[in-house]
Amino acid sequence: MSLVLHPIEKTIIKLLKTAPDLTEEQIAEKTGLSIDQTRRGIEWLRLKNLATVSESEKSFVKLGANGIKAKQEGLPERNLLNMIAAKPLPFSELQKKLGAEINVAIANAKKNDWIEIQKGETENIVSLKQKPGQTREEKMISYIAENKVAVDQIKDSATLESIKRRPDFLIIETTKSRTVSLSEQARAIDTEKQDAGAIDVEADVPLVHAARTHPLKDTISEIREVFVSLGFSEIAGNLAQPSFWNFDALFTPQDHPAREMQDTFYIKGKAAEKFANPIQIKRVSDSHKKSWKYDWNVNAAKKMVLRTHTTCVTIKYIAENKPDEARVFSLGRVFRNEKVSYKHLVEFNQVEGIVVGKNVSLRDLMGLQTEFYKKMGLYKIKFWPTFFPYTEPSLQTMVYNERLGKWVELFGMGIFRPEVTRPFGITRPVLAWGGGIERIAMLKYGLDDVREFYNNNLSWLRTVPKCQ
Amino acid sequence: MPVVTLNLKRLEKLVGAKSGKSKIIDALPFLGLDIEEETKDYIKVEYSPNRPDYATDVGIAAGLQGLFGLKKGTEKLDIKKSDKSALIKTDATTKKSRPYICGIIAKNGKLDNETIKQIIALQEDLHFGVGRRRKKASVGIHDLDKISLPLTYTVASRGHKFVPLLMNQEMDMEQILEKMDAGRDYGHLLQNQQSVPIILDSKKNTISFPPIINSALTAISTKTKNILVEVTGTDKNAMEDTLAVVVTMLHGLGFILHDIKTDTRNASQIFKTRSITLDTDFVGQILGMNIAPSAICNYLRKCRLDATARGKKIICSVPRFRFDIFGSMDLVEEVALGYGIQNLTTSLPASTSVGEKDTITKKLDQLSQIMIGLGFTEVLNSSLTSKHVLYDATKRNPDGMIEVLESKSQEYTILRDSILPGILENLSRNIHESYPQKLFETGIIFSRDTPIKESVSIACLSAHKDTSFTEIKAALQSLLKTDSNVECSTKASSNPMFAQGKTADVIIDGKKVGTMGEIDSQVIENFKIRVPVSGFELVLSDFIL
Repeated sequence: MSLVLHPIEKTIIKLLKTAPDLTEEQIAEKTGLSIDQTRRGIEWLRLKNLATVSESEKSFVKLGANGIKAKQEGLPERNLLNMIAAKPLPFSELQKKLGAEINVAIANAKKNDWIEIQKGETENIVSLKQKPGQTREEKMISYIAENKVAVDQIKDSATLESIKRRPDFLIIETTKSRTVSLSEQARAIDTEKQDAGAIDVEADVPLVHAARTHPLKDTISEIREVFVSLGFSEIAGNLAQPSFWNFDALFTPQDHPAREMQDTFYIKGKAAEKFANPIQIKRVSDSHKKSWKYDWNVNAAKKMVLRTHTTCVTIKYIAENKPDEARVFSLGRVFRNEKVSYKHLVEFNQVEGIVVGKNVSLRDLMGLQTEFYKKMGLYKIKFWPTFFPYTEPSLQTMVYNERLGKWVELFGMGIFRPEVTRPFGITRPVLAWGGGIERIAMLKYGLDDVREFYNNNLSWLRTVPKCQ
Repeated sequence: MPVVTLNLKRLEKLVGAKSGKSKIIDALPFLGLDIEEETKDYIKVEYSPNRPDYATDVGIAAGLQGLFGLKKGTEKLDIKKSDKSALIKTDATTKKSRPYICGIIAKNGKLDNETIKQIIALQEDLHFGVGRRRKKASVGIHDLDKISLPLTYTVASRGHKFVPLLMNQEMDMEQILEKMDAGRDYGHLLQNQQSVPIILDSKKNTISFPPIINSALTAISTKTKNILVEVTGTDKNAMEDTLAVVVTMLHGLGFILHDIKTDTRNASQIFKTRSITLDTDFVGQILGMNIAPSAICNYLRKCRLDATARGKKIICSVPRFRFDIFGSMDLVEEVALGYGIQNLTTSLPASTSVGEKDTITKKLDQLSQIMIGLGFTEVLNSSLTSKHVLYDATKRNPDGMIEVLESKSQEYTILRDSILPGILENLSRNIHESYPQKLFETGIIFSRDTPIKESVSIACLSAHKDTSFTEIKAALQSLLKTDSNVECSTKASSNPMFAQGKTADVIIDGKKVGTMGEIDSQVIENFKIRVPVSGFELVLSDFIL
């Protein structure tokens, strides 16, 4: 235990050595410290076993509204005596002067044998019998008005009780007070001998919060770095896309349920005018007609949507660049018209990588996945077949989550269907994989509610540890 | 994705040969079925909508038999000829709304409750997927013994009455469309035609009101032994797909199939297989392994397809219900499934490419670092927000507002044209946290163009009792100077979101690139914030990107 004391602590010890057992308020008053400083100092001393605090209840008495009035204007019976001191007065006149207090005044004066009431010609006449000096009640009211009086200080309890019986004369307040006394060890401290300038290096300090990147942004950056380290270059594209690139180019028939408004956000207003070259449009249209056997409509392809996946960026890139060899990835926001819940957002981040090459295969795709997850710190993975409309074969990665104790589905992958690539003149296999980033970030941060990432709750943002 | 609940005991029996529960559970994912829930007796799996045959345990059992090598190749559908009465007569009246009909008869089978449940689920999946919410095709399954053949497919007035399924009294067509769920959900498919499609039997009993509802008379039950299936629709191809799936399931349940004739303009009920030729080298290339033609045939047959090798060419015969198979690439997947995904070893493609981040990413990373150095913490908001946050509470001009259609949530209806309102909203949700609160965000903002312009923007807000124009201008200058040694000037302007006389446009090279200032007190109050706030927003695309 360090015996370095804060100046506040020293001040309190010094005082209590001369006047033991004071309340917090008394200490504050006598030392000139603020009540907050005092309380803090006492708490420090208590934690160091230098002071003990005992709590007690104490009742104080003070004047109520009628009590204050009586103090200023006198008790009603005293006022009555003053009125009839010179000559007796008829009842009606006294009533005019005393108002509602007449009854109390007469009753008390009569009880004390101060007045006499005689029948007059028309009404009762009140005359003075004897005029007393200051009564016990009057003395006590003055005393209470001038001092803060603890109930147990008052010895004349009969008088106190009689004042109490008068309505609104007295208020009894009960306060809790904390009495502080020094321990033996503290009494032995010589405050003057304390090291000048030394501070309590063991004491708690206020919290400060480092300004920082958003936790989800950290995971996004980490994923970007992994792609770059695997030799992938980033490509970017718009969030608002013509349906053509989001759906048609990816072999999604125009009457497919995924294209309905209840799954996809369509943007109100103008459609896209120029969105692809005529050959691209013609070939995509032919591919749909041939495989899905329906009349493809160019107007449906023009409608602007908020992209439902980053694949629209990828397909546009390979359609425009027709690479023989490529390793690119695109990362960004995607949108689904869903009800927001602990596992669904309307807007989230997705990443997708593709490899174009002469001899690339499904096993390569699985190998790249394994490598990707290893770099993300996920080692226990396996692959299951699945279905995606624009890849064939299609697989999904299952990753074992230790915290949840089960396999969770992460990225999907596959080879772009020939129906997708052929219309754009791509003949080499295109390996593609990707998925939602929030899912990975949830595993990393141990979250069960995806909405936390977008709540921007400062208590979380400021304190959640960065994770590796 | 649709879900089916499987009784494990029953599935085990269907698969046969003491396959064992745990072996079955382990194999399900390798058919492409995701396990959703598992109890002692039941397992819930999700299947992909392109395989409606997996809506029933009969279909799943057929798949498992293949993977286990118990049964390989396709099941031959033997369709017997019926007598002359097995006929669906059609007249021209249905041409306008729902022109086509086809069907099949299935005899001498047994239905239990579990099977009936699955048949109903299969029907619903077919209606939703292949049938495109019953528009292209819808299917009705009836107890044949309650029907007198031949049938007539015609139209009836909206006043026509019969007892619909699930009801115990007669209703007219209008009442069915108004009062029953199916009527309200699918009535729009009949547009506003005076007469609606109907299937009558030879005794003039109504057996169905397609595509809305069947009659109670012909409902199937555990007592049903003989079944009539009818499919009506507007798209012959989708109708044939639908019928093929149902027929395959009934065959799997042990029913004997018999044809029912329709006139020639209708969809066919001949379940022709398709032949697709596959090249051994192509399979080897896509899977990344050497594989012999005979092995390919074996794996395809394990996926319940037929295949024979001729040299390096493999002729694969695809049954009618596998309309998810378009061409040879789909067959490569079948080979992979037959081989077993779990048996594929991974490899890494050779590459010498050097990866690089996008320039915008790099720029934003750098700007973010500087903002953090200036003491600002990053927040993330969605691009879709509400009119309230974006315009009403901030007093901004909503003229350029970009809306999305039919959002399921009021909070996500408008694409943001500025980042600041979102950060104000963040401050309002954090009034109980300690101050100062200094927040920033980078992201995409949207504006009307041909048709939509997307720009990259950065914005920040500082909220504490002593914040001021000076503080925020100092931060702005430091950001620009540190990032790209750019000087900016600030020119007095007016903007309802900011306090009058305490706001400015940010000018670089004579061009306005942003706004800054102290936030208007009414705006602060609208967000229930109790301290002064100041901030800036810069549209980066206008000058440094």
